[in-house]
Amino acid sequence: MTRLAEPDRPWIFRTYAGHTSVDASNRLFRDNLARGQTGLSIAFDLPTQCGYSSDDEVARPEVGKVGVPINSLDDLRALFDGIPLDRMNTSMTINATAMWLYALYLALAEEQGVPAAALSGTTQNDIVKEYLARGTYIFPPGPSIRLIGDMYEHAVRNVPRFNPANVCSYHLQEAGATPVQELAYALSTAMLVLDELRDRGTLGRDELHQAVGRVSFFCNAVLRFVEELCKMRAFVELWDEICRDRYGVEDPQLRRFRYGVQVNSLGLTEEQPENNAWRIAIETLGVLLSRDARCRALQLPAWNEALSLPRPWDQQWSLRLQQVMAYETDLLSYPDLFEGSVVVAKEQARLVAGAREELARLDAVGGTLLALESGVMKAALVASQAERIGRIARGDQVVVGRNRYAEGAESPLVQGADGGLFHGSPAEAARTLARLHATRAARDEAGVAAALERLAVDARSGANLVPASVLCAHARVTTGEWAGALRGVFGEYRPPTGVEGQHLSLDQQAVDAIRARVDDLTRRRGRRPRLVVGKPGLDGHSNGAEMIAIAARHCGLDVVYAGIRLSAAEIARQAIAEDASVVGISVLSGSHLELTDQLLATLEAGGAGEIPVVVGGIVPAADAEALRRRGVRAVFTPRDYDLVAVVGRVLDVVDA
Amino acid sequence: MRDLARLITLVERDDAAAPALRAGPLAAIEGNLIAPVIGVTGAPGVGKSTLLGAVAAEIAGDRRVAIVAVDPSSPHSGGALLGDRLRMAIPHGDVFVRSQATAGTSGGLAPRTYPVLRVLRRLFDIVFVETVGVGQTEDDVRHVVDDLLLCVQPLAGDSIQHLKAGLMESPDAVVVTKCDEERLAASAVTELRATIGLARPDTDVAVVAVSARTGMGVSDLVARLRAVSVTRREEDADAWFVRRAVREAYGRQGLTRLAADPTAATASLDERLARALSFGSSPL
Ligand code: B12
Ligand SMILES: Nc1nc2c(ncn2[C@@H]2O[C@H](COP(=O)(O)OP(=O)(O)OP(=O)(O)O)[C@@H](O)[C@H]2O)c(=O)[nH]1
Ligand SMILES: [Mg+2]
Repeated sequence: MTRLAEPDRPWIFRTYAGHTSVDASNRLFRDNLARGQTGLSIAFDLPTQCGYSSDDEVARPEVGKVGVPINSLDDLRALFDGIPLDRMNTSMTINATAMWLYALYLALAEEQGVPAAALSGTTQNDIVKEYLARGTYIFPPGPSIRLIGDMYEHAVRNVPRFNPANVCSYHLQEAGATPVQELAYALSTAMLVLDELRDRGTLGRDELHQAVGRVSFFCNAVLRFVEELCKMRAFVELWDEICRDRYGVEDPQLRRFRYGVQVNSLGLTEEQPENNAWRIAIETLGVLLSRDARCRALQLPAWNEALSLPRPWDQQWSLRLQQVMAYETDLLSYPDLFEGSVVVAKEQARLVAGAREELARLDAVGGTLLALESGVMKAALVASQAERIGRIARGDQVVVGRNRYAEGAESPLVQGADGGLFHGSPAEAARTLARLHATRAARDEAGVAAALERLAVDARSGANLVPASVLCAHARVTTGEWAGALRGVFGEYRPPTGVEGQHLSLDQQAVDAIRARVDDLTRRRGRRPRLVVGKPGLDGHSNGAEMIAIAARHCGLDVVYAGIRLSAAEIARQAIAEDASVVGISVLSGSHLELTDQLLATLEAGGAGEIPVVVGGIVPAADAEALRRRGVRAVFTPRDYDLVAVVGRVLDVVDA
Repeated sequence: MRDLARLITLVERDDAAAPALRAGPLAAIEGNLIAPVIGVTGAPGVGKSTLLGAVAAEIAGDRRVAIVAVDPSSPHSGGALLGDRLRMAIPHGDVFVRSQATAGTSGGLAPRTYPVLRVLRRLFDIVFVETVGVGQTEDDVRHVVDDLLLCVQPLAGDSIQHLKAGLMESPDAVVVTKCDEERLAASAVTELRATIGLARPDTDVAVVAVSARTGMGVSDLVARLRAVSVTRREEDADAWFVRRAVREAYGRQGLTRLAADPTAATASLDERLARALSFGSSPL
């Protein structure tokens, strides 16, 4: 019999969803579940992820933009209205504030009489990749790892079906990681967390092994699906070995490499966006074809990924792809197709060997934490991204519709009245704020103060912070207050940017031409043109700003790049103090209008209204027009992939 | 701040029109009282900027603080990533930070760091200058500061090398950075004292351990820095700057042609520079 006696059950179908408000997101979740989605995957807005309440000054432009805002238990209750907690597998993309969302979830279950043991789901809770690639960090590494450890300790004993953390290689790859880097960095992160648990010594041997068994992963798959398939098999092999040799886990069940996937989005284009539908379908092959290394849960981006958040229909279209794959094909009827394949085995072995070497390199610089804090890991990722962008710019890596076959008929998908874009309802933020005010008005302030005090005391003493957090949840503490109390004890952290010392390999003739222009301008002005690049707001999409900073320096500009998560006012201050020739901001969080307004206003107020401003990021055409009307001199979007040309246009602005 | 920033640009400019444009504004402040200038130097990545951020944030409470931070330019493109200010986590911009690029000069400073320091010390209460991450020979900074801190990392073999080689000549204090753990601090300080005892037995160089991360030692260092006064004669620093420019333009040969300039005492730095450069180029 080559076929399985019983076809496998399909993986979990998820859609990464959430936006606007708890009410809007609740409707969205219920619709998606009604359409056959089998698990929830919640996107939170950036203030919730970065530990600010919706009424915080830094939060205001971002409330509900790219996810659902959660301020307190009242919000979470409304979000889950009509959704039974004990029958839902809930994946929450939440990291620095993961313990807070976990505590809210536990508190809600308690309120509804659902036993903790019946809860299943995941908080993403991988702080290493936040520092390296995703940007929603708050506290320094030490306390952050402790929070994760506390959650494992708590979950293993009280919520055994919950995965307190999901180690992510997904975001590393979106930040440029090669398959080998993805393997090595994710595995080293998992070991960092498990070492912490082991070295605490508070868990018994069995409990530690249970914790090992609860570690799940969140991976990525690009279009090179053969290599990706081998990468996933390499993960399975290496993880099994690590669990056995490093943590002494004997039960093979607990050593299973369990993982969810979102397929690659970095390669999805603004140009000819309909091609993305094919890309997404092909990318699923890498994580579905090989039964021994098949994902447990899958969520897919949509064809309009590079244009805006997906609309409901876009999400449905991607969900249908999963359903066709699972229910119409014979994929689930066979054992592993690659057993005995010499080619796959060799490719897998190559990746395993590469990952081992990379892991050894991390060890050589003193381990994951040191490699992280010293910037070694981040610089390696930025280098890989620069390498990738260089290949595409030179045409060495084909991207259909971008650097090859760029001419084509107009896509009917963007011809509708909405332009194929999701249009948010910014006015709904008022409802979120009203709910927050109602919560504050109704709660017992003494109880709030006591709960926050207990949180701070426990944070200082080293006690497990979950019970105090649950207490805070019941007391209607807000997200900003919970994080604020811990900020007070732990402090805040900004990781290295990785941009220093990077190289780009671009078309030399074009580069020489632009360097000559820069030199000429330098002679004429008596000073080299100076670009201040910044990312205002809570947006963590650093790729674009990093590449622009590196490219501008490569072309001969003096560049000040201060990393992500700055206030618009801070960027303006830098631009003024440095007497910038031009300020460039990069915004992919949907808040480009508000943040640009803030920047322009602060420059104006500082008497520097004449410093030209350019904006890049996910900016719909209508908004680009609006920005230009406000005085922005040039707007760039993903289709401006030729970095030399982008720097050229920035120079045009300086030399206007 | 906008006006100050633009004045600095004017002072940094090296086009022919600039000296005339800046003569007026510079003359207007020439007579101001001058503040001490403190240099921070050391190998790449030892923690100069981070430390300066911590120090400046503390001093800014009651003094006006300015910082000039120098980063290296790429020899290939001429461009630079000015990354120091990012490392200086100073809240609310109450410290004036200005970045400069070396633009091909060696020595650890940018071509016009000195003229900018000369302006800032007339407008602030205390001025810091961070050099590029330096090797063993780039010690121009010692000519322009009243107090020089050399940062070294604990247990870093190369920093010991620095100490043994030339750089040891200059600093007034050696700061051992990144001493996050007390134990590390103690052993590093002992080791350094011994090395310094050998290298400079005659002088009394302070050795301080700090951690910008934990804040350990920062207040003590700040107390020391608050006490720094102007000790270097500005004429000397001016003369060094002029000589360096001549040497850069014409090599050592040029220096031999540099006669004492009788107008030195009254002329502006730009005028002296221009005269010196014309002496330097005049035929023997
Ligand atoms: C990669 C990626 C990520 C990575 C980011 C890794 C990193 N360190 O940068 C990860 C996986 C971490 C990520 C996370 C999230 N993402 Co994302 N992500 C993307 C993706 C796929 C590509 C962006 C990218 O890096 N492109 C490559 C760079 C080089 O291109 P670029 O940024 O566009 O820059 C170019 C031009 O725009 C321009 N440019 C840009 N900035 C500037 C600045 C200047 C001065 C100049 C001159 C030019 C310029 O020049 C650049 C060179 O070509 C986009 C979709 C897409 N395909 O564009 C979604 C996308 C931006 N993400 C999105 C969202 C919602 C998120 C999340 C907020 C989800 C959530 N709720 O948690 C998270 C959280 C991130 C955070 N902290 O803010 C949305 C944003 C929606 C919106 N704006 O309305 C998008 C559009 C996807 C979607 N359709 O939903 N993401
Ligand atoms: N553990 C620890 N790390 C520190 C400390 N101070 C600085 N660092 C880290 O050391 C690295 C370099 O710090 P910088 O302040 O940029 O060093 P620098 O000497 O200014 O570097 P260059 O200007 O590039 O020569 C950064 O990753 C800092 O976070 C400290 O007190 N403790
Ligand atoms: Mg520095």
